[in-house]
Amino acid sequence: MTNHVLLNNIEHKDLKINLERSAQMGDNVWYTQTFPMEFRSAQAHYPILFQKDNGTGQITPVTLFGFENDNNLFLKNGKWDAAYIPLAVQRMPFYIGFQESTVDGVTEKNRVLTLDVESPKVNKTHGADLFLEYGGNSDYLEHIANVLEALHHGLQENSAFIEALTNCELLEAVTLDIELNDGSKNQLMGFYTINEDNLNSLSQYKLAKLHSQGYLQAIYMVIASQVHINDLVARKNTQIAL
Amino acid sequence: MVHMQSEIKKIIIVGGGSAGWLTAGLIAAKHIKNSAANTLTNSVSITVIESPNIPTIGVGEGTWPSMRETLKTIGINEADLFTQCDASFKQASKFVHWENAPGTCDINHSAASAYFHPFSLPSGTTKLDLASYIGEQYSNSSQAQTFAQHVCFQSVLCEQNLAPKQITHKAYDYVANYGYHLNATKFAQLLKDHCLNKLGVEYLSSHITQINNDVEGDIASVTTDSVGIVAGDLFIDCSGAQSLLLAKHYQIPFCSKKSVLFNDSALAVQIPYDDDDAVIASSTVSTAQTAGWIWDIGLQSRRGVGHVYSSQHITDEKAEEELIEYIKSSTSAKQRQSLSIRKLSFEPGYYEKFWHRNCVAVGMSAGFIEPLEASALAMIEQAAKMISEQLPANKQTMKITAKRFNEKFSQHWQQIIEFLKLHYVLSKREDSSYWLANKESSSIPQSLHEMLELWQFQTPSSYDITQSTPLFPAASYQYVLYGMNFKTQPIRTANRDTKAIQRLLLDVQNKRQHLAKAMGSNRELINKIKQFGLSQI
Repeated sequence: MTNHVLLNNIEHKDLKINLERSAQMGDNVWYTQTFPMEFRSAQAHYPILFQKDNGTGQITPVTLFGFENDNNLFLKNGKWDAAYIPLAVQRMPFYIGFQESTVDGVTEKNRVLTLDVESPKVNKTHGADLFLEYGGNSDYLEHIANVLEALHHGLQENSAFIEALTNCELLEAVTLDIELNDGSKNQLMGFYTINEDNLNSLSQYKLAKLHSQGYLQAIYMVIASQVHINDLVARKNTQIAL
Repeated sequence: MVHMQSEIKKIIIVGGGSAGWLTAGLIAAKHIKNSAANTLTNSVSITVIESPNIPTIGVGEGTWPSMRETLKTIGINEADLFTQCDASFKQASKFVHWENAPGTCDINHSAASAYFHPFSLPSGTTKLDLASYIGEQYSNSSQAQTFAQHVCFQSVLCEQNLAPKQITHKAYDYVANYGYHLNATKFAQLLKDHCLNKLGVEYLSSHITQINNDVEGDIASVTTDSVGIVAGDLFIDCSGAQSLLLAKHYQIPFCSKKSVLFNDSALAVQIPYDDDDAVIASSTVSTAQTAGWIWDIGLQSRRGVGHVYSSQHITDEKAEEELIEYIKSSTSAKQRQSLSIRKLSFEPGYYEKFWHRNCVAVGMSAGFIEPLEASALAMIEQAAKMISEQLPANKQTMKITAKRFNEKFSQHWQQIIEFLKLHYVLSKREDSSYWLANKESSSIPQSLHEMLELWQFQTPSSYDITQSTPLFPAASYQYVLYGMNFKTQPIRTANRDTKAIQRLLLDVQNKRQHLAKAMGSNRELINKIKQFGLSQI
């Protein structure tokens, strides 16, 4: 269950966010959304793939943390075992909501910060304060606001990025065959990746266009990130050996 | 020695509509290299001449799954069908009251009053012939489930009006095989725009006043009322029921099939939904009447409903009464007063040949039969595909292609007619002279007689079908036969892997349960497609 409420420094002045990273805290996700501006940081630690949204069929880039639901291979002893945590995870349990306000007869949609008060991270004893003693925003909350802002703008960029990729036929479905040390063979389906043959035979004109849009670099970062699939397999082997 | 002038270069298509534009699209997609002007590099040109005076008939709102492949070949974006043609998904034909008249249901078997002929083949068709096993079992006892429910998981999607795919499926991919219900006029417009803007097809809006032969007797050109004389090498007659080139010009004789399939009239009406969220049916519903049947096709914004009947067995007035009775429950009295009912008449049958000299007929100009299995568009696709793939190099080889084309399509027409007749012959209805006359031996083609005799002891199989690429596979016969509770009682029991068959049957039931939960409604998916489109990967 989730319950998103508009954050305010009166009702929520005593709330803290537990910064532990664990299944109990709801961090046991196996992938999360990402976006081109985040690729540089993400590709240092995670494979970046593409996936279709179940509700809309729209393709989005995702960072992969494991091979199956409820199995995040980066959760270790209450911590996230990587130097960079993708923004879509960092921001939990905060979301962006929209509020309509009417000023001088003009109705505007404003972005507002909301909190899922049902999240196990929300409590009154452990973790980071949301507000300072007299109601000001804590550094943590300022950080979260920045994260959400970056995430909002980043995700908005995705549809243009994906359109550029599909126009050049640069996405293809991929099935990952994963063999583990225990001999089990697994197939990971439903993901998409960059079609390198098509990329390599792209016309100069199209390449230049992708470059001018800033997407060429993003494409190569996605390709470079694939090496981390081996890292995930190693983590999985460690997990099953325990 | 092949003469240069006999090469087939200029193709003239007479008539727009679904037939004209599908044919133009399929030929252009294969033979026109680059739509961006440089016609010199192209070996063929295609010109469609459409008369501004003659409206297209605009019926023919159901397709087969083959339409997916056709549209993919032509290069139509699937999502455009949903945004531009009022399209929905068709997964089956549903036959209501065909076995027994309403209220007279035989209590000896718990038969439902309706059965499905789904587009997906029975499970295990290629390996275990589940249908034969069930067909035989089915004949022996009363069944809680219908035949299609036993052997085909798609039945559940049809029963609950669920979609055949999800928004995450790429264009033309599916969970369950499907075709479309669509607005035929809008569909022709979509195809036309695509042919002209993307495929390099040329277009003349003009009325043809005269057809001119060369000395050999081939068509050399057509004279029009506004763009002069248009010459060509191959003329494709898509002029609809008037059959301008094949029948009017060449006087090819017509083979009437009225003695087999009696229906020769139709009353068509459009019924808007009550609200924007109305359920869209997954099947074309055909409900048998006293002297014909009523089609019911759910598009996004409206239903198309029509009564097809035999004018020999019922008056137009009485036929209209039955139609009004049918739509009573889904319309208000006020709506019924403002309905505009269109009357159509047709002669069931087809021409003795379809390809004569340098003229080939596609669509209603080649023949017409009641739309009981929605075969009209499928036949257009088949004809256009063969013309495109076997496009003759010159007039010498055209004779050979024409002969093959004529043989193939005569067989297709014969099969359709026999298969449609099967629906009537199996009926147990005796409530009108129409149903009784339909079972009279003299009205049943000889080969259908023979098949019915065989099927008493063996289930329909590929041995029953002589064509290499039949319109209806053996599975279609099985769906209709056992949907109508036909009895097949083999005298020898064949050795079978019963365990594997039981597993397969269980698998169908599990899949039915799973899909009932996993799939959204037709309306839901169509709304999503209109908002988000369908991805190409």
